[in-house]
Amino acid sequence: MSSAMHPDEATARRLAGLAAAPAAPPNPDHGDGSLIDEPGVRAPLVLGNRSFGDVTNIVCGYIENKPARWWLPAVLFTGSIAGLGGLFIGYLVITGIGTWGLNNQVDWAWDITNFVFWIGIGHAGTLISAILCLLKQKWRTAINRSAEAMTIFAVICAATFPGIHIGRQWMAWMLFPIPNANAIWPNFRSPLLWDVFAVSTYGTVSLLFWYMGMIPDLATLRDRADARLRRNPNGATILPFVPIRIDRVRAFVYGLLAVGWRFSSRHWHRYEAAYLVLAGISTPLVLSVHSIVSFDFATSIIPGWHTTIFPPYFVAGAIFGGFAMVLLLLIPFRILFPYMRDLITLRHLENMAKIVLATGMMVGFAYGMEFFIAWYSGSKFEQEAFLYNRLMPPFLVGEGERYAPYWWAYWSMIGCNVLSPQLFWFKAMRRSPLVIFIVSLLVTIGMWFERFVIIVTSLHRAFLPGEWHMFHPTLVDILIFVGSCGVFLTLFLLFARYLPMFAMAEVKAVLPQASPHHGEEPTTAAYSTTGGH
Amino acid sequence: MSVIFPRWMNSLPPVLAVGVVGGLTAAVGLFWYYATPKFWRVGYMPVQPGGGFNHQLHAGKLGMDCRYCHSKIEQSSEANIPSVHVCYGCHADNRLVQFTNATHKAKTDFVREAYVKDEPIAWNRVHKLPDYVRNFPHDIHIAAGVSCYSCHGQIMGMPIVYHAQPLSMSWCLDCHRDVQVNPQNHLVPKDMVTKLIAVENRLANPQEHAGEAAKLLENIKLVPPENCGACHY
Repeated sequence: MSSAMHPDEATARRLAGLAAAPAAPPNPDHGDGSLIDEPGVRAPLVLGNRSFGDVTNIVCGYIENKPARWWLPAVLFTGSIAGLGGLFIGYLVITGIGTWGLNNQVDWAWDITNFVFWIGIGHAGTLISAILCLLKQKWRTAINRSAEAMTIFAVICAATFPGIHIGRQWMAWMLFPIPNANAIWPNFRSPLLWDVFAVSTYGTVSLLFWYMGMIPDLATLRDRADARLRRNPNGATILPFVPIRIDRVRAFVYGLLAVGWRFSSRHWHRYEAAYLVLAGISTPLVLSVHSIVSFDFATSIIPGWHTTIFPPYFVAGAIFGGFAMVLLLLIPFRILFPYMRDLITLRHLENMAKIVLATGMMVGFAYGMEFFIAWYSGSKFEQEAFLYNRLMPPFLVGEGERYAPYWWAYWSMIGCNVLSPQLFWFKAMRRSPLVIFIVSLLVTIGMWFERFVIIVTSLHRAFLPGEWHMFHPTLVDILIFVGSCGVFLTLFLLFARYLPMFAMAEVKAVLPQASPHHGEEPTTAAYSTTGGH
Repeated sequence: MSVIFPRWMNSLPPVLAVGVVGGLTAAVGLFWYYATPKFWRVGYMPVQPGGGFNHQLHAGKLGMDCRYCHSKIEQSSEANIPSVHVCYGCHADNRLVQFTNATHKAKTDFVREAYVKDEPIAWNRVHKLPDYVRNFPHDIHIAAGVSCYSCHGQIMGMPIVYHAQPLSMSWCLDCHRDVQVNPQNHLVPKDMVTKLIAVENRLANPQEHAGEAAKLLENIKLVPPENCGACHY
């Protein structure tokens, strides 16, 4: 603190977050500076001695500066993949779902696999924004906005599949209880209808939560565009020779989206209350949505589906797969976007890797428990389904003996979901972005295979051997799934370019400057930044 | 802060709220009115060969029984369209004295031409159920005492046949459900089924026949099916 400054001014500056954070001595043991293992010391959540202004400049800079050179080609690439998927959906609608590899026995296959896969992905976003908020996990502030965006894009991809798998897509409105000239009402005892309500509620609440949290940041973008316009009324135009200033458009569009936010205390008061209410509404949704998705299977009598462990097992799997997807998206973004490594530190990645490990163990437990119950219940059909529909590889049985035709899918799932996260027991592994990225990729693949295993292996050999049928995906199956990945990535890239990827106010709240005691001389060990006892 | 939005935009939220609610209501209302079978099926009246078979004249003024031409309705699901031979039975050259009238002769020449060429008359179908619905079983409904009038309306007053009822699924189900409660609105004695004018008078005052209709319902011992497979294979 400068001695020339009046003490009151110093306090005011400190409280306004204008005083720089004390420089932490670089310690090679602490990785990027966030990996402090001493229990008495809180690891910093934002690195690089960032001030409040820095956070705003970093987050808004991604939107306001020219995009990096990779951005446009990347969007064009993912966008054309999405378009390809769209073309094949068009072909499917025109021709019929016989273009998929479905048959009378396996009447749900890739379509429902993809639906459950995508809807599961979304759960990590809701967990981060709702449950971690209620539990006051401060590290969530760096990842909640992008994870919520991921949730919404995943729900969009998920909702496509039940919509197109119904065969006569123009009758999709019949999914909802709408009065009609056929006097048909959906069956309220069917979990498929519960699914419609669960997913549409989930999509709506997630969208509201995401948008409401973004309003102050959109207002910041509006004000910055407006300020630039006043400084320089002749700034860049949207196109050469078109006299419409980019900042005019920005101020208008972000201003519309910011719905009159003026950063008043009253606004913040309402905002905090609404945020808490939405977090409270979203919290049960984390658990309920995938429970209801699991009822699609668990309430039936198909061996392999008729299992009471399904709801918790599905929820754990959803969070598992969702966190893997968050990591899969954010690790490349940390490299591609400058300064993002100051906001998403190795500590954040490590925390998420721990969640992946924990939920992976839960999923592994559920896999084991399914076999235990199949044996313990004495149900022959259940035992057959698990042994000879899923587990038994040809090289474990004798020549000419029965084996499970989809054994490779089952063992891919076990390898990816149960074995690969075990790497995270090792500190060095869960602190290496490369290892985390590879494991997350494996987990994402594994979680897709999990749904494939549950759906296809149970269906392809049900009660009547005369009806047994293998499922083979067609080109249309594959390209529609790849197309949905393209939609997801395109939406995420557009989000990263045009909307604030971080909740700026929340990130600022976890800066050291936000603490009322910031800048004071450490008086007790509790406030020590150097640790030690 | 400079002015980003013009002042009139302050009225945008209420205008939007009213517009969205009103627009949605209008969309639902318009869809309800214009896009359901009540609107787009009722009144369908295709142009028929020779100006169409005049049901008003034949079934109304002349009092012919429906079964003279639609002869198999009591035995078959399908209400058969008569062959040209049935028409020719009356409309043969000089068959009846009044057929010598020149105007009438000109109007019915197409029947005799078709007969001579031994070709069917290409009547246009008016009532058609979707292909995922089985043929409407006329025999069963007639045996149960459901009059032609219930579904085809005032056919005895139609110079050219038109679609009188929506034939939507809910329209079918309305009757299948209501017949147990109010049989007098739907059932007539079996020998009255094709006597359309009598049926019309009877159904105009259903309460006078409530007791009789209850007996009809009891006699047929029928629960009209509501399961999918009753109408959809």
